Amino acid sequence: MAETAPMDPENAKIDRENSVKIICLGDSAVGKSKLVERFLMDGYQPQQLSTYALTLFRYNTTVNSKEVVVDFWDTAGQERFSSMHPSYYHQAHCCILVFDITRKITYKNLPNWFKELREYRPSIPCICAANKIDVDYNVTKKAFNFAKKHNMPFYFVSASDGTNVVKLFRNAIKLATEYKENSTDFMDEVMRELDNFDELNLSSDSGLDTAPNSEEKDEKEA
Amino acid sequence: MSIMPQQCGVRFDPPALVLTYHNHRGNLHRRTMPIRGFTKRSGITRTAESLVSNPRHRKYLENISRPQIEKLLRIIQEHMKGISLDETLGAIKMENTIDPDEDLNKLDDIALSRKKAIMDEDFEKNRKKPGDEGFEYEVEVDFLPAIETSGWDDQSDPEF
Repeated sequence: MAETAPMDPENAKIDRENSVKIICLGDSAVGKSKLVERFLMDGYQPQQLSTYALTLFRYNTTVNSKEVVVDFWDTAGQERFSSMHPSYYHQAHCCILVFDITRKITYKNLPNWFKELREYRPSIPCICAANKIDVDYNVTKKAFNFAKKHNMPFYFVSASDGTNVVKLFRNAIKLATEYKENSTDFMDEVMRELDNFDELNLSSDSGLDTAPNSEEKDEKEA
Repeated sequence: MSIMPQQCGVRFDPPALVLTYHNHRGNLHRRTMPIRGFTKRSGITRTAESLVSNPRHRKYLENISRPQIEKLLRIIQEHMKGISLDETLGAIKMENTIDPDEDLNKLDDIALSRKKAIMDEDFEKNRKKPGDEGFEYEVEVDFLPAIETSGWDDQSDPEF
């Protein structure tokens, strides 16, 4: 049971206000996990949530002198089921979209990932990372239009020798926190309201926990 | 007693691994190791495991790499299925190289981990980790603006 502790609702409530969620997307074997591992280095034990087929890395940092808890979500191979479970996208604040410069198909598949992302999260910031540049540094002289076309930051990175990995993740964290503070997305605003509820210290047996469900039912019956 | 393997091959029927080797006196010998109960459906990994742990064969096979033994078993098994040697060798080669146009999302766990193992060789080759000379946590490089196209953007495709 210990492995599921971070998903415990009580913990989630405490953390939610100052936490951001960053997800990684892209084909199998483009290096998503290796990038996260390179950023976090040793000492961070990923939470393997096999039930949900994902890997969760929790990271504490400071953004503009405010403490922030960052949850990095990694697919744990789930990308092979052609689409991700909706919970993967739920309340994400930033997305890192990765392709492998040695394999063209991983670049050609970016629009599919991006499209799926936008179905669930229409307005969160997204960053494009071209990984494995250590295999051939000449690739950094070349233009890849996808990121420009969709107006997203683009980085040449290498999880192997570390090039621009820290820069990529710092920028992702910055964009995620900015998004969370300023989002006008309806669901995000609802989530912010819920955070405010928590601040009022409403006890969990106030009945609020079950209220949304019964409302839903009422709507359907009506 | 030391065994100096020279060549390791197969006999199709009945299935066996055939090893030529020099013994400690430098004499050339040949040893045929039957693979009992091996069928079209036998697991390659398990069969290889039981061969190398067989006390009669162990010392002869300890200097043969596991991938090579598995490859030889695979050749025998594909032959049992009526697949030609050339075809099998071609397939094995495909599995052990990275095709930049192959969609790895479609592979099963075993095939994917094989591809990942090949890519990991590059990863490890260029890897800088803590303790290595010249390792820095933060490596920032501003690359100059692109001077050529990647050739991966298709003008007719609105996505790129």
